[in-house]
Amino acid sequence: MTAACLILAALVPGLYWDRDPATAPALKQAGIERIYVPAERLDEWRRAGFEAVPFRPEAFEKATPPGVEYKIAEASATRMPWVDANGWRFVREGARAWFYEAAKGTAALAAAEPFAYGVQAVVHPDAADLPLAGRMLAFLRRIEAPPLPAMVNIAVIDDGSETTAEVLNLLARRNLLFKVTKAPDPNLLTVRIGSPEYPVEESGDPFAVAVKVRQQLTDEKRLVRIYGSEVVLARLTGDGSRARLHLLNYGRRPVQGLRVRLLGEYRDGQVLAFGAEPAAPADWSVRDGGTEFTIPAIDTYAVVDLLCAETRP
Amino acid sequence: MNRRTFLHAAAAVPAAMARGDTADIPKYKVVSRYAPWPKPGMPGSQPGQVVSLHSEKAIDAESERVHPETLREMMSRGMRTLTGDKDPRDSWARLFNASDVVGIKVNCSGAPGIMSSPELVAEIVRNLNTVGVKPASIWIYERFKGQLDSVHYDRYVPAGVHIEAAEASRGALVGYDPGTYVEVNFFGEEDTRSNLIRLVSERFTKIINVPNMKDHGASGVTGCLKNIAYGNFSNVARSHSHEKTHTLSFIGTLASVEPLRSRTVLQVMDGLRGVWHGGPFSPNRKFRFYPKRLMLGTDPVAIDRLLIDIIEAKRKAEGAISVWNRDPKYLANRRSNYPQEDPNRNNFIRETGHIEYAVRFGLGVYDVGKIQVRNIEL
Repeated sequence: MTAACLILAALVPGLYWDRDPATAPALKQAGIERIYVPAERLDEWRRAGFEAVPFRPEAFEKATPPGVEYKIAEASATRMPWVDANGWRFVREGARAWFYEAAKGTAALAAAEPFAYGVQAVVHPDAADLPLAGRMLAFLRRIEAPPLPAMVNIAVIDDGSETTAEVLNLLARRNLLFKVTKAPDPNLLTVRIGSPEYPVEESGDPFAVAVKVRQQLTDEKRLVRIYGSEVVLARLTGDGSRARLHLLNYGRRPVQGLRVRLLGEYRDGQVLAFGAEPAAPADWSVRDGGTEFTIPAIDTYAVVDLLCAETRP
Repeated sequence: MNRRTFLHAAAAVPAAMARGDTADIPKYKVVSRYAPWPKPGMPGSQPGQVVSLHSEKAIDAESERVHPETLREMMSRGMRTLTGDKDPRDSWARLFNASDVVGIKVNCSGAPGIMSSPELVAEIVRNLNTVGVKPASIWIYERFKGQLDSVHYDRYVPAGVHIEAAEASRGALVGYDPGTYVEVNFFGEEDTRSNLIRLVSERFTKIINVPNMKDHGASGVTGCLKNIAYGNFSNVARSHSHEKTHTLSFIGTLASVEPLRSRTVLQVMDGLRGVWHGGPFSPNRKFRFYPKRLMLGTDPVAIDRLLIDIIEAKRKAEGAISVWNRDPKYLANRRSNYPQEDPNRNNFIRETGHIEYAVRFGLGVYDVGKIQVRNIEL
């Protein structure tokens, strides 16, 4: 096994299972052989034939249960549904390990989200989600290739404030790709709350700050645009010769026909979507400095592997 | 201030956005690989010409039962009058031939209360068959599957006619053409594209537009232009936010996108039923009325111009405020009064001017003095 594969294996989330070993058949049926368990049940689970690891949920940082809320009856500055996601926290807080208390129906998304960001996590699924969680973990284990560096448009200088936290949240919500830094980056649009461009007196309105960042960057320069869903969030990684686009669907139903625009020219791509066979993206188009394609359906998570146009085999 | 608190506080729309003039027309980018025909279907061969047919027998207002034989005669007279032919087959043959693949753009947003009447759609299909267009080359289509299926057009048309919605599930993009779209940012929304239905660009050679006669809370009225525009593109509801709507400029912009504009060769406005308030939906029968009228032509602007007068006259008769009323004091509290039950309350500042605005795209004739109406009473 290569070092890259070892890294990836470590980043496929673990499953926390605090139930009685009598539930072992359900785990085996879901294809789950490795679990995180309370220390007092370690021996029982090992005797049951599982690769069991002692685990205390409180030792990990608690992740927000991922998903979406449609607040139709509430006034808001936007028609966008309310997405609860952790990607912005992963970017901000770096190499922490995370624990998901996954509500019923969210275990697959809870497993995919940390994988997409390359962070360590353990997911505590609802028992009813075990088959789905098992399928997602198996899917994640099949995704190959070593991690690539994040591709971003924006450098946010983090002052550690709640305001900046909410700005990061809303940037992520709009697929405005950013990194968190200590100093300005001359190659990126730099955002620092308290700077002349983003004065403190305007920062009480984080939604407006995110809108302003978008305007200053301009849509034409954005690395990723998503059409056809308001609840799919993207993460883009790449090294100049190839790129990987992670797409997480926070909605409650599959997205049919997601259109993606990437800045730059790519010559080939492959879609690995949870619940579907590997396939080429549909309606591929390279135009006006960007590459566009359609993913026919995204259930919970998909990755799109792309080769840059100038790369030759 | 957390996000929830902030969003609530930000709900008020800036006053500048509510002016309702053309000062805040957004910047549109139209992307299409299709060239216009030398003579586009809209306004077509008969700009400024409308045949308006009325028959008391067309529909029974009590039972809402349509009289198919009367409808057949209305269509026959209407098409013959429009083209000057003695035989209706000659009239249809001027527009369609056996090699055409024809899309019939119905309107089902108000179903089951009001929709493109299946009896009328069946009569259109029958006429297409008479000039050689086979059932398998005809599509009855709409955006939303649930609305389309609720009408059961299949019970009225020959086997083989396709009945297809662009969105099997709400928001699905697979039924739209990724290469033909209008890009515009109205209110800072993330998805700034509205894509044309894929059937329109990739399969149909001709389109027949079959709208209803309806009041509309955002666009003032909804007829030919609104049905062909908002009814053929994805992601259009984003043009409304709070009391502001961009229907003034968006409708004409969408309707003029190729190949939609060139291929839409016939307008058949179904005014058997009508909605005088609360449109485009019709959950409440008290706002339905029965003009018992069809309007035919190739010019969507001219027909819609006449529609304004029909809806306005009915609203006036009912004591409701004008479709031109833009006074903010008549805006409803949408949270407590939606759907709108009070005909003297508006959900949006109405943009009835969208019809006149469409003239700048060359879509038709708006000036009543230049519209030739041929009224026929059966």
